[in-house]
Amino acid sequence: MQDWFTQNIASLFTTITPETVQSWFVYNPKEPILFNTGLFLGLFLVFYSIYIALKNTFYPRLVYVIIFSLFFYYKSSGIFFLLLLGSSVVDYNLGNLVHRTQSVLNKKLCLAFSVVLNLGFLGYFKYTNFIIDTYNSVSDGHFEFQKIILPVGISFYTFQSISYIIEIYRKEIEPTKSYVDYLFFVSFFPQLVAGPIVRAKDFLPQIYQKLNVTKDDINRAFLLIIGGLIKKTIISDYISINFVDRVFDAPSAYTAFENLMASYGYAIQIYCDFSGYSDMAIGVALLLGFKLPTNFRTPYQSASITEFWRRWHISLSTWLKDFLYISVGGNRNGTFAGFLFPALFFFGLIVWGITYAPTSNVPLFIAIGATVVFALTFLLSKEKERTMFTNVNLMTTMLLGGLWHGASLRFIIWGALHGMGLAVHKIIMEFFPSKKDDKKSFFGYVWLVISVLITFHFVTFCWIFFRAKDFAIALELINNIGKVTFDWEQWMVIAQGYKNVFLLMAIGFVWHYLPEKMVTAMQSVFKAMPIIVKAILLGLVYWLVYATASAGPQPFIYFQF
Amino acid sequence: MNQNKSYFVQSLTIFAVSIAAFLVFKSFLPKKIFSESTANSKNVVIDSLLLEAIEEDKDASEGDTLSNQPISFTAVDGIAFPDEDFNDYKGFQHLVQFFEKLYQLETKHEGNVRIAYFGDSMTDGDMIVQDFRTNFQNQFGGQGVGFVNITSESAGSRNSIKHEFSPNWKTQSYLNVKKPRSPFGVNGHVFFANDTAHVEWVKYKASTLKNLTELYNPTLFYGKSSNKNGKIGLKVGNDTIYKKLSPNKLVNTLVIGNTTKNLKVDFVKADSIPIYGFNFDDGKGVHVDNFSNRGNSGLPISTFNTEVMRQFQEKLGYDLIVLHYGTNVLNYGSLNYTWYEKRMKKVVNHLKECFPGVAILIVSTADKATKYDLEMKTDSAVVPLTLAQKKYAIQSQAGYVNLYTLMGGDGSMVKWVDEAPASANKDYTHFNFRGAKKISGMIYNQIYSGYEQFKKLRANRKVAKPIIKKDSLTVAKDSVHVE
Repeated sequence: MQDWFTQNIASLFTTITPETVQSWFVYNPKEPILFNTGLFLGLFLVFYSIYIALKNTFYPRLVYVIIFSLFFYYKSSGIFFLLLLGSSVVDYNLGNLVHRTQSVLNKKLCLAFSVVLNLGFLGYFKYTNFIIDTYNSVSDGHFEFQKIILPVGISFYTFQSISYIIEIYRKEIEPTKSYVDYLFFVSFFPQLVAGPIVRAKDFLPQIYQKLNVTKDDINRAFLLIIGGLIKKTIISDYISINFVDRVFDAPSAYTAFENLMASYGYAIQIYCDFSGYSDMAIGVALLLGFKLPTNFRTPYQSASITEFWRRWHISLSTWLKDFLYISVGGNRNGTFAGFLFPALFFFGLIVWGITYAPTSNVPLFIAIGATVVFALTFLLSKEKERTMFTNVNLMTTMLLGGLWHGASLRFIIWGALHGMGLAVHKIIMEFFPSKKDDKKSFFGYVWLVISVLITFHFVTFCWIFFRAKDFAIALELINNIGKVTFDWEQWMVIAQGYKNVFLLMAIGFVWHYLPEKMVTAMQSVFKAMPIIVKAILLGLVYWLVYATASAGPQPFIYFQF
Repeated sequence: MNQNKSYFVQSLTIFAVSIAAFLVFKSFLPKKIFSESTANSKNVVIDSLLLEAIEEDKDASEGDTLSNQPISFTAVDGIAFPDEDFNDYKGFQHLVQFFEKLYQLETKHEGNVRIAYFGDSMTDGDMIVQDFRTNFQNQFGGQGVGFVNITSESAGSRNSIKHEFSPNWKTQSYLNVKKPRSPFGVNGHVFFANDTAHVEWVKYKASTLKNLTELYNPTLFYGKSSNKNGKIGLKVGNDTIYKKLSPNKLVNTLVIGNTTKNLKVDFVKADSIPIYGFNFDDGKGVHVDNFSNRGNSGLPISTFNTEVMRQFQEKLGYDLIVLHYGTNVLNYGSLNYTWYEKRMKKVVNHLKECFPGVAILIVSTADKATKYDLEMKTDSAVVPLTLAQKKYAIQSQAGYVNLYTLMGGDGSMVKWVDEAPASANKDYTHFNFRGAKKISGMIYNQIYSGYEQFKKLRANRKVAKPIIKKDSLTVAKDSVHVE
């Protein structure tokens, strides 16, 4: 026992050198701090102990969390924590200005200024090179790319700041009582770098409430953290490194079946990665006594694309609905801004089709087809004008929402596909309204399963554009999937070759489609466990994370059939 | 109030205990949960000779007599490169005859130069080689993609030619067949159209890449058989033209027609005739054949039949053979590569017998990273393997390119994968198109710097006239079109 202790525990401390200690506190671009790292675990333990000690104070606690949050941001994005600080000072004052201004016109001007300023910041960091690239390729220009580093999480906290100012403008909230309160909201580290996008009206009241956690909160928090760790570090990271990334790097070097599995793999990978990290954020916030909104509700269980967007990245889709969709007219009005982006998009699409017409008719066919289908979604409707406004505004939302995910044409295409999907689903619902009664017949269940399958495959198809490095790769992959033939023996050989990857993918999907009752039952088992057992279980999950992360990349397998 | 505090403390306790539990688990439970071994199945591409070699030579002792002595060269045609030391060995001296051919091509626009580039999955889909070919063809002229197989596992990923084939071809590869029904071709493969119920076909379409926009002088290569009834059919306009195969010699060629963009060839009643592939070149300048094979260690080349290869050499006239291997030899645990060194030395000597007078260039393994603890680092086997490759290059008088140092040495693969835009794939082994271009540029630049050095030495040499040995195959007819 003595030996074991010296070997494993004492050695932990004896191997610590001044350099290691320094590395804990200094920004390293190669190792940004993440919830699933040992460093965060250690830092959080210390942070949390002091937090509990400060829990009955107000300003000391807030300032303490702000300092830790800024440190956390410094560890993920270096010197840019100053940008976060600077923009928070500006936004806090703009919020007050919007609140104090009396005349409607001035209020509007202040609001417009704040939104433009925030989007300008985001645009500069995120889209400068994209705009240069687009300009160069359209006009044969030769503007040089700028060396701009994208500050981590800027897309998320910019949206939070905008929500604060718009909600003040809409009189949904009052400005915070002091700058410190506002900085606490913007910099709160659990959701700072990857969401959920917290709305000022949901979060600010919690600052002023008495800090409180219930037994149920703690249980939920640990369940979220455990689930998040498994989804993000075990499932997502492993299958991406060992399978999905490789196929998306060079699709044609793999068999058709591997291409198909890679696209399924990416569907579960992105869900596990994104929702896993969100869950950890929500869990950590809950431990601190703050409730963040749910971000994912098993989205691949959706029976329609409309439902999918109510269950996928909920904090973003509600943000877009409230501040973008409604602002451009919602389902009632048509506005210039609402028509601008869809018009540009379809115009660009047709120009693209025409430029390729000499070599192939397919692009033009796709361009005209897409435009006609989109037009039909409102021309066939009984309320043509209103449906047109709705669909055009939805398309605007999805196009810009797509662009929010990254500065590339691929994300715009991804958004456009979803926009089309939503519009098509709307017109189908108009012709074949779903029955209201709750009792489901056998046929109803079969139809539900089919709808879920169709929705899942549509979403997975769209993900290909989201993930592929460029269009050539995306088309190559789609083309390869087209060559899949049913060959059970070949599939089994491939499954054997990738047994770890396919096993994790299977776990991911089975978990995703587990009936809610079963999930609740499993959760109540966890809740009933004694504290010590919960702790040991959590320790076991850390080990799982560690042992998965230690596994080297799987060697390459080339199949011959 | 008290209740509330206790829940905060409770969750802190859970955290603290969980960390302790983790430390205990970490010391008792295994370090990795996913093993890195792959299932050996008949459907996975593996070099069977490599597996045997490892089994036989596990305990070979390591001897090192090379690394401390300077390496000096004897003059060829009055040209002697300065002495080299083991560390920076490049062996340009052994490429002199190849350089001379390049020189004749460059100065007098005479003759043509042919390079056989043997490789593994690194050169799959014509990666690296297509850029290597472009470099040469841009500098010295020459058009055409060179020799192409009948079937290929990587046809889909090849950009330099569009290649399709019917699924009913019977393929034998030197990777996993020791005694083929008919000898292997220079590509290490032999293909049979044995399905008499359905016609086997192969289709090629020229790419849009520079120098490769046509299928120049398509020529079929096939071997010896007792079946004299075989013929090939190809569509010209609306008619199908049939040409008879006469499989009389060990290696036969058949010029299919004129330079074209598309080619589809049917094989009729051609069962048991060994088919090797098609050659596309314009007969002048430099041509590079890519003989890549996933899973190859290089050892299977030892199964080449000398007589057959000499006939290939007579028709194709190689001046340089590049051997770019190593990736598949890295994964086997041992850092002692004496066995590989010995066997590859034999391979090189065998190649010299098959292709008399040809220059040989060994390209070492590139950097490859493996996870050590939680960090990706250069695999500990990379450096020992590059040394073994250098040793057999020196011993068998071949040129040598150390790709590992050219890439940047220790940790370079990790950089290539992590940089934006990335140059290598997430397996920390293979390059993407961007990286492949860089790699081929590095190899080409080293050869070219040797060539420039050669030109200086040639200008200053004392012998007035170059002596081209009469018995050497460097003067053999090089064109396949002289039939």
